[in-house]
Amino acid sequence: MHHQSLRVLALLFVALIVLQSLLGGALFLVVAGWNPHDIVHYYTQKSLHGALEVLAPHVLFVSIALMGSLHFLGFIKTIGDKQKQFFIHGLFGLFGLDQSAPLMIMAGFESFVWVKIVAFVAFEIVLAWLLIIIFKKSVDEFF
Amino acid sequence: MKFLISKKLIDNKSLYASVVWMVSFLILALLLNMGVKIIDFGVSPQDWVSSIMGNEEEFIDPMLLSDLLLTLHTDLFGLILVFVLASALMMRTSHSQMFKLTTMTLGVGTLLAYTIGVIVSLWLGTFCIWIGWGGFAAFHLLMIGLLLNILILLVSKKF
Repeated sequence: MHHQSLRVLALLFVALIVLQSLLGGALFLVVAGWNPHDIVHYYTQKSLHGALEVLAPHVLFVSIALMGSLHFLGFIKTIGDKQKQFFIHGLFGLFGLDQSAPLMIMAGFESFVWVKIVAFVAFEIVLAWLLIIIFKKSVDEFF
Repeated sequence: MKFLISKKLIDNKSLYASVVWMVSFLILALLLNMGVKIIDFGVSPQDWVSSIMGNEEEFIDPMLLSDLLLTLHTDLFGLILVFVLASALMMRTSHSQMFKLTTMTLGVGTLLAYTIGVIVSLWLGTFCIWIGWGGFAAFHLLMIGLLLNILILLVSKKF
């Protein structure tokens, strides 16, 4: 019974994280579009001020949130150092690419739209994966 | 999530002070978030329905999908962080495992109800906004109650 309850809790949390990723993806699709041409059009129409308005809060808050989430990895003993390094460098690296690609598109390098798409999708997936691992390990250790 | 604080939290004065301040500001953040929602969407479920779906009699336009998604996306991000931090602290308390499990399940469940309720209302109608409103209110009240309980335990050095 107890084990079943934990499983339900873990599944609910996974659903929450998946929902958050889906919302981020849906928001991007609604404002920017779903194909590369639409995304290039969205960013080339944007002013530098408009781009900075999105960039500044994301860089500040996501880096803090990433640090807050990633520091939990240091306390999980069942994951190897290589996997931890993968999450840390992977998430910050993907976030950097995701945020800088629109600036490159605005500067005329339209092929960076693919960098934006791949980095965005990969970032959402790796972040969801990380949060699920942290939550699962924590629940396993505590109950 | 036990890692947020050491076992000897009371002995570590700087960590203790940081956690007390953080919990205080998390409570404030939840109260402010409720204030923002009251201004944006209104107090009652019917106000939420008018703000999100629009109301011809009151000349209120329906909310743009992009605005609704942005609100939910940023809201959910912040509320997940609050939930994770509050849960991490609650696990260090002497409450029973059943209490901890029930509180966490209710926290995740109400947060899901809020987000899914509001988003599916676009297809399933206004009743879902009532579910979303209930989830939002329940989550905030639950987390404020839990954080107040943690704060009292911290201040009374029973943590």
